[in-house]
Amino acid sequence: MWKIYKLNLSKEVYILFHIGILQLTQNLDDAVRGFKQGLQNLGIQAKFTYLNADGKVEILPELAQKLVDSGVDLIFSCSTPAAKAAQRVTGEIPILFTPVFDPVSVKLVDSMQSPGANITGMSGMVQAQDKITLIQELLPTAKKIGVLYHTADDNTLIETNNFCAAAANLLTIQKIAIQTAADISLLEEKLAADIDALFLPIGRIVEENFSSIAYYADMMEIPIIASHGPNVVMGALGALIANHAALGIECANQAKSILVDKKLIHDIPVGITKMPEILLNSFVADNLGIELSAELQKKAKEIYA
Amino acid sequence: MLLTRKSVELLAPVGNWEVLEAAVKAGADAVYLGGKHFNMRMHRTDTNFDNEMLKKAIAYAHQHDVHLYITINNLLSDQEIEPMREYLQYLETIKPDALLVQDLAVLELVRELGITIPLHTSVMMNTHNEHAINKLKEYGITRIVVGREMTLSELSLFKERTGIEVEYFMHGDMCISESGQCIHSGVVFGQSGNRGRCLKPCRWAYKLIDENTGEVLDADSPGPYKLALNDMCMYRNIPELIQAGVYSFKIEGRMRTAAFVEGIVKTYRRAIDSYIADPWGYTTDEADWKDLYENRSRDFTTTFALGQPTAKDIGFSGRREPRFFSQAVKEAGLSAPIVDKINPIAIKQPEKQQLAIRVADLASVKAVCQNGANVVYIGGESFKPVKVWTLVEIKEAIKIADSYQAKIVIDTPRTTMRRECSELEQFFIALNQIKPAGIMVSNLGSLSLAKRLTNLPVQADFSFNTFNHLSVKFLKDNGAVMAVASLEASYPQVCDMLAASPLPVEVIVHGATESMICDHNLPAMSLGFNPLENPEFCDRHYALLDTAKEVHPIRIDQYGRNHILFAKDLCLLPYLAKLQGVTSYRIEAQHYTAELAGLLTKTYRSELDKIKANEAAYQYDPEVLEAIKKISPRELGSGAYRYRISR
Repeated sequence: MWKIYKLNLSKEVYILFHIGILQLTQNLDDAVRGFKQGLQNLGIQAKFTYLNADGKVEILPELAQKLVDSGVDLIFSCSTPAAKAAQRVTGEIPILFTPVFDPVSVKLVDSMQSPGANITGMSGMVQAQDKITLIQELLPTAKKIGVLYHTADDNTLIETNNFCAAAANLLTIQKIAIQTAADISLLEEKLAADIDALFLPIGRIVEENFSSIAYYADMMEIPIIASHGPNVVMGALGALIANHAALGIECANQAKSILVDKKLIHDIPVGITKMPEILLNSFVADNLGIELSAELQKKAKEIYA
Repeated sequence: MLLTRKSVELLAPVGNWEVLEAAVKAGADAVYLGGKHFNMRMHRTDTNFDNEMLKKAIAYAHQHDVHLYITINNLLSDQEIEPMREYLQYLETIKPDALLVQDLAVLELVRELGITIPLHTSVMMNTHNEHAINKLKEYGITRIVVGREMTLSELSLFKERTGIEVEYFMHGDMCISESGQCIHSGVVFGQSGNRGRCLKPCRWAYKLIDENTGEVLDADSPGPYKLALNDMCMYRNIPELIQAGVYSFKIEGRMRTAAFVEGIVKTYRRAIDSYIADPWGYTTDEADWKDLYENRSRDFTTTFALGQPTAKDIGFSGRREPRFFSQAVKEAGLSAPIVDKINPIAIKQPEKQQLAIRVADLASVKAVCQNGANVVYIGGESFKPVKVWTLVEIKEAIKIADSYQAKIVIDTPRTTMRRECSELEQFFIALNQIKPAGIMVSNLGSLSLAKRLTNLPVQADFSFNTFNHLSVKFLKDNGAVMAVASLEASYPQVCDMLAASPLPVEVIVHGATESMICDHNLPAMSLGFNPLENPEFCDRHYALLDTAKEVHPIRIDQYGRNHILFAKDLCLLPYLAKLQGVTSYRIEAQHYTAELAGLLTKTYRSELDKIKANEAAYQYDPEVLEAIKKISPRELGSGAYRYRISR
């Protein structure tokens, strides 16, 4: 049950909440860090029960139940499966999520504007159109783009469809499907030599095993446009991303609205990143003989060498 | 031993400020962390501490009476030496309690700059014997981090013999390879595990096959993750660890969150305190154990601490693997390595250049001598079913080589623990009588022993991970006459080293090279046989088949260690003319037939002679490779020469 706190909003009084964090993988540490930082910035004192499934999707329901049993005031769920697991075990405790790509399609919320009974959060979506614009700025002559996607990931499928739709009259798209992570091992056979760039939609399997994708792409001198920040450090040419830490901070604001301001969750729309960040890798650009325009370099949040 | 609160140090990993506070609050006696460069966790730019934060972290730790150690445990390229020099000077001003080091160049720099911070050897320095430790003490090393392949009794012994302080990874993620001796990620991906960028090929899915027939041997196995070692957990063995003389109880996990580190530190803190307060009456706190176990990431193992690991120490199913870092890929072939696109920097050619070949038997010694080898390496590891070199055979080899004006240099094992060191002492004394042309050593302990017990010239092999000219200087200062360039170094990196090297350098240009060396018996763990009961099982040639359909041979040496080979054999024949400044071109033919060893020698001899006769007019003709390809057991590849920079 959600405990009712007597609030005294003068700053001297500390409010102690009990917040549960349900995280799918280490990949999402930044979101958790941002969330905690955000709460701290808002002066919200909380005790955390932190549970990390370490990649094991199947134990999320059990962990979610543990959080409910421990009587938390709010659950911060990182990733779609974590949010779904939390939603399944409680219709009462407020749930926040991030970075869920499209919470409507995966039926976490009724709509972005009016999310539902006890759940809202921050979408990790960056508009497909914006990603295409980045590709065009980075690689002005690129015509044919490969899209490598993992067929068992709902979010990946959504973004792949969005991307292909947005690219319809601008680029030729060649879809490259992988069913399992191990399929990446034979990517060489699937990568066409005539593609000008390889786009990677969001999705855990592709993000985690990025280096093997980059290995083949590098061998064939194909630049990669990624959707996951750390992949740029690891060898993608560039990416347009929703910063996970920033999403976490936004979730902290939503947590304040719920816990302190007592707003109804139904009235807290699902947020979407306002300022996606451009990340570039100049070492990769050098290797591929690609020039990063001064304008792009200026716009980039980070350029890795 | 009478215990006090100071008898043991609980050492926690720290990746950011939040974790630092959590570790200190949870009761760590010391923490270790990295700066923005030169440490073993380089995948993430947002972890680790910048210079200003390092300073604050030290102040914070010291306020709480906690020691702080900074990891600078990467191999350095020559380009990174100057930044390291500046970094060390900065670290000297902020005074951490110790630095963890891997590269021998750092020992040189510390001496050169008069750095006063105590040094600890990283586990990556792969220290296995007291001879190495005594040498390291001369360079200001006050503590060593012991590898997981050491048993507690082995480490007790060298602690007693040297008095060195011992740090032990007693909880967390582990390598299956000996630390610092895995070059799989570096060679295949250009992202070196010795430079903080490991992509964990040990976590790939493999089938165990018979290399010769291709037959899958483990169809009924519990899963494909043959090398996926479980996580170390010594929680139930705290008394054994303390009584073995381990001072620092190290927790792995600098990428871990505050909550994770805090939980582990608290649990071990309680156990250690409780043991120290009353060793006699101590029992494991089962509630804490249950908590630790239920919140584990992978399953637990004690690796070699209490004896040889078995199948239960491997997470075959992969179900508990927290995340993967890569999938298997086809290793780079001979096409399009970066070396084609780079013009060599002008390096003076040494007056004397040689062709050296490592071989497995007397027939090969003869074959390579007949075909123009200058130096032949014999000894070291012999791979089953090939027999070990006896003193009689070594004498015979020298006789053969003499008749062709070639030299025999005696190789020694890569890993030398107590047994191997004792055997080496006797062997070196015998070599003084047999008089080979030299000795090749693979670690600092063997180097010390060889220098002490013989007057023969001593060369330092690739296991020293020689990545820059300053580490060559270290080897020279300690009596070596030749160094071997790391197989992980890219072509420009090798050139930088050659240009500045104070010693002649050997470059391995051809052959079957090893990606990992493991003290585990991998086939036995997968197939469940006991090598003591069925020694003949070890004579078979096993291999690991990965998901890119690449076959990685496993070779078992006379000590029972497993050497995993790359799927493709290195071949730099097309680039010989670009390798200037090399004193010794080396072929690793110990896994080849005498016929192939002879052919390779003949081919390389002929190309080197052509280059020497008229370098300007020399043109490489790919045809010369065809005969070699025909009788090579594996396809040929370009190794790390595919990359501009090995990262």
